[in-house]
Amino acid sequence: MSHNQTPLYFAGVDIGSTMSKVVIIDEEQNLRAAVIGPTGAEHRRRANEVMIEALGQVGIALESVAFIVATGYGRLNVPFAEQQVTEITCHARGVMTLFPEVTTIIDIGGQDAKALRIQNHKIVDFITNDKCAAGTGRFLEVIAETLDLPLYDMSQISLKSSRPLQITSICTIFAQQEVIRYLSEGAALSDVLAGMHDATAARVVRMAHRIGIQAPVVFTGGVALNPAMVRAMEDNLGCPVMVPSNPLITGALGAAAIARDKYHRLTAEGRIPAVSARRLEEIRLFEGGAKT
Amino acid sequence: MSLFMGIDIGSITSKGVIICENQIAAYATLPSGIAYRATAEKLKDHLLGSAGIGSEEIKAVTATGSGGSQVGFADYHASSIVCSARGIMAVFPLVRSVIDIGGQSSQIISLDDKGQVIDFAISEICAAGSARFLQVIARILQIDLQDVGPLSLKSSNPVNFTTGCAVFGETEAISRIAQGVPPEDILAGVHKSIADKIHSMAMGVNLKPEYALSGGGALDTGLVKRVQDTMGLSLLLPPMPQFVTAQGAALVAKERWNN
Repeated sequence: MSHNQTPLYFAGVDIGSTMSKVVIIDEEQNLRAAVIGPTGAEHRRRANEVMIEALGQVGIALESVAFIVATGYGRLNVPFAEQQVTEITCHARGVMTLFPEVTTIIDIGGQDAKALRIQNHKIVDFITNDKCAAGTGRFLEVIAETLDLPLYDMSQISLKSSRPLQITSICTIFAQQEVIRYLSEGAALSDVLAGMHDATAARVVRMAHRIGIQAPVVFTGGVALNPAMVRAMEDNLGCPVMVPSNPLITGALGAAAIARDKYHRLTAEGRIPAVSARRLEEIRLFEGGAKT
Repeated sequence: MSLFMGIDIGSITSKGVIICENQIAAYATLPSGIAYRATAEKLKDHLLGSAGIGSEEIKAVTATGSGGSQVGFADYHASSIVCSARGIMAVFPLVRSVIDIGGQSSQIISLDDKGQVIDFAISEICAAGSARFLQVIARILQIDLQDVGPLSLKSSNPVNFTTGCAVFGETEAISRIAQGVPPEDILAGVHKSIADKIHSMAMGVNLKPEYALSGGGALDTGLVKRVQDTMGLSLLLPPMPQFVTAQGAALVAKERWNN
């Protein structure tokens, strides 16, 4: 325990390809702020605003955060972070904070999907796909745009299906045409949509099988907010999945937990990190940014 | 005088020809849409109208392409691989390797001296390596497909796309446009991505000279040049590359009719 002067805060910043997430925790690892905002090329400033908003929720200034860890696709370009940690590490840590018993983590984000195998609180294997839109949130978005349906409605309609159709195309672009063709032939929208959710889940589960799937499985990422996808994942996995109440922020949460560890390790070594050099400025994503 | 018809229902565009003594006497194209059966009927009417003949004058019809099986009036059906092979041999008898760049899939075919298919590779799992990627990007750039080739040839600094995926490519292209990258560099980058994919597909096929291109993708001068440079091959270009497969289908109709 610290000596009751100023309370300690730790932040995790996860700059994903679609969304930016910031989590602030306190010394007792209580969640004090969780903010999500779009990243995107046109939304660079928004990524920064997410941090400002999180600080506002706690009612503190940037200098009051003892240590900041950045993760995600755009992590190298967060000028106010003390350290960068890969998203795989942060993600696993965040999920383990919420579900200490987890063995398999499946994460489906806006533009990627990954599966992690955990043993004794360590990552023993992982696999990712960020090369192909199939089996990522982008697939669902493309179909939603095509049908001019919000993702939420698409999920709800899909859950009414009793007889999901089989989408045979793997490629998002081909599947888009397959969906249109089914509908033009008079297929029920719910059956087509259920087939589409099933195809997405099947693709991710097939990938995850390559590293071995063992229950308990935790399903995270923005796509885990979609009830039809949760059901499709359970059908394809043959076991129930656990979904965090906020499945988007696990990476940022893990980054904040790692920030807390790092701070204490450095302090124990007598090296308290200086926070004065932080710049709360525009985050650049495509200039010298690294993936994974 | 024997007339034969070839109908090629592609994923994006449908092509049809009537041949007389192995040469194209009439040709027509239509967007395939989603009702292939109706599209094929309309295409047949266009062809007959253009040739100024009645359907009874056509001895036989072969249908091919991804929607070929839905052509109700066809006497025969054949794969697009076989039809592309037959078609290219009618245009260039010395060709032994064909690279067909279609709206949604690309094919690499190796032939023997009689025009029989020895080996082939086809990109059917995804839109990468097909002209579909180009269509997606041309749409967001608001550039007509016929302008893509000439414009792309002005590029000095093609964009490197991180994946061949057409969906991710679209997102990446939008980011590049936002950064002020000129359209010619984006288009040349798409050509590069397609050419790389075709090149890697071709590695698995034993190709021999002469080499030719076919398919609608061969109408894009920028893509043709990029494929040629990437593969380090000199490629023969038919005058109407998009009709090669339909012509081949008509030749298959003739062969089967005569046997």
